[in-house]
This record gives sequence, C-alpha cells and structure tokens, in this order.
Amino acid sequence: MSKLVEIEVLEKDDKNMRLLIRGVDVPYMNALRRTVIAEVPCMAIDEIVVIENSSTFQDEVIAHRLGLIPLKTDLEGYNLPEECPCKSEFGCNLCRVTLALDVESKEKTRTVYSGELESENPSIIPVSDTIPIIKLAKEQKLKLEAYARLGKGKNHAKWQPVSMCTHKYFPKIEISCKKCDGCGKCVEICPRKVLAKTGNRIEIRDLMACTLCQDCVETCPQNPPAVKITWEENAFIFALESTCVLSPEKIMTEAIKILDGQLKDLERQIKVKKSEKD
Amino acid sequence: MIIPVRCFTCGKLIGDKWEEFANRVKAGEKAGDVLDNLGIKRYCCRRMLLSHVEIIDEILRFYEEAEKRKEARPY
Ligand SMILES: [Zn+2]
Ligand SMILES: [Zn+2]
Repeated sequence: MSKLVEIEVLEKDDKNMRLLIRGVDVPYMNALRRTVIAEVPCMAIDEIVVIENSSTFQDEVIAHRLGLIPLKTDLEGYNLPEECPCKSEFGCNLCRVTLALDVESKEKTRTVYSGELESENPSIIPVSDTIPIIKLAKEQKLKLEAYARLGKGKNHAKWQPVSMCTHKYFPKIEISCKKCDGCGKCVEICPRKVLAKTGNRIEIRDLMACTLCQDCVETCPQNPPAVKITWEENAFIFALESTCVLSPEKIMTEAIKILDGQLKDLERQIKVKKSEKD
Repeated sequence: MIIPVRCFTCGKLIGDKWEEFANRVKAGEKAGDVLDNLGIKRYCCRRMLLSHVEIIDEILRFYEEAEKRKEARPY
C-alpha cells in the first residue's frame, strides 16, 4: 500500500458525494464505510411524553414515526448522552433538545406535518417541513413533548446520517482491436450502457457506470473473448448519500476523525497488553 | 396506514414526497416519470411510493360520516 492517498471529487451537491480514492486498500475502505454508517452521530427523537392523544394512532406508532424524522444536527453544540458531564438519565441542555407538538383539528380532517414541531433550539429542526406525521379528523387532538438526542447508527437506524454509503472497485476495460470483429453484441447486452459502437469499433462510453458484471465478456463470440473486464488495484469509487442531517463532507471528515481515534485507542491497548507481559 | 417516513430498506426520507407523487399520478402523469423527477433512484425507495395505499383516509371517513350525522340531528 502506497503512502500517498489521492482523492478526486467526481460529483458533489448538498446531499450526494462521489469520490475516486486511490492508494488505499479494501479493509480501509470498508472500515470507513462502516464508520460512516454506524459511528457518525446525529440527532433523532428518542423519547416522547404523550399528554393527549385522541387520534386514530396508538402512542407507540406516533413515537416511531417521530423518531424516524431526520433532524438537522449540530455536532459541536451537543454531547452524546453517554459522554455528557451531566451523567443524568434524563439529560441536560447540552445533550438533549426538546420539541413540542400541540395540534388539534377544529373543522375538518387535516394532516399534521413535521413543520409543526416546535423546537427549543431553532437550528435543530426537521430537514423537511412537509413530512406527514398523522392525519386528524374533526375534534381529534394530539399533544406531546419529544426529546431528541445524539446517537449512533449502530444503536438504531434513525441515527444513521446516510441513506446510502458504498464503495466499489474502479473498473478497467480492455478491448483487443485484433480479436474484435465489431459484432456489437457486448454493446447490446450491457445493462449500464458502458460500451458504444462507432463504425466497426467498440469504444468505452461511460467507464464509471460499469458494475463489473462480465455480461459483455460472456456474450463475446470470440474465443478467448475480445473484451476483458478487470479492476484497478487500490482504486475505489466511494459514494455517499446523506439524509440531510449533516453535509456529506462533514460526515466524511467526522468518520475519518472517529476511525482515527479508534485506531489510536487500539494501538494504546496493544501497548498496555505488551507492557503487562514484560 | 399512512405513508412511512423513510424507506424500509435504505432509510431515505420519502414521506414528504408522497403528496406530490399522489397528486401528479392522479392528474395522469406516468408514475415512473414522477419518481425520476422527484429524485427517487433506487427501487427500494420507488416501491415505497408505488405500492402505498393511504388506508388512514378510509378510516377517517368513518369519523367524517359520524360528524355529518351529528350535525344533521337537530337536538
Ligand atoms: Zn447532559
Ligand atoms: Zn430505499
């Protein structure tokens, strides 16, 4: 493994990020992926106190729906409950955000949206204001208080900051000009339309889209096949889709920080074990 | 019952897209085109909207009917 890691941003917006990373191996990429999914904390409603509920849903169903609403997270301003100096089960204002919901249908059936949740901190709010929480018929009421906390994806999926995080090999396609007769069968069979036919020659149209499925190799009438699909050593396409609780680059930097910390911790423990032996 | 907040499989937020999806499909647009337009790419998330039935609307109808009867009665 080379020491120099090269990262190229292929695509980035407020939700998605695609990186081309060279110079790392599979275990590192997978560790990074798992850290993003299971270790990067984010905010979610964890506990609710129902004061009044005359709707058609049970309290538990409402609690579950509220828990799954992604909340914009401020990692600097809040502590994980297990690391908070308050050491209280209930939490303090450094590890807990209170949100209130007090709705009633006065005239006709109406939908209650996530935008109606009132947060004590205006920066910890649902990422979207139009998530339906419940529908109320006339004279039905719902009044509750919800407590949001930081948590990790390994404890519950609601604390996962991403809805997708993957890595795949960087594809390498070789087409032998000598063997290929330009029949075009590989162009037709490719589900991702990676190859294209220009004149009597097969060309690569979109290399990144290749899923290494080998369909083109199997369909090639030549023996041995004129097209060869392999992957580059230590080069990966890393893709990430945030649920909008944190920006993709924040998730990535946070994941690297956490992974670094865990590796240092492991190193320290190994050193302690070694010194015990001596 | 009511549209789930997130996709069961991947956890993408889909609840806030249901109303637009339902209205546009009702207006005659092709469901696949609407999903593409809403930026729902994976088939796990697409089936969440495609196969959803808002049963809560049927349940709330009982309450609406009861309300109507109450209003019709003079006493
Ligand atoms: Zn605290
Ligand atoms: Zn999905």
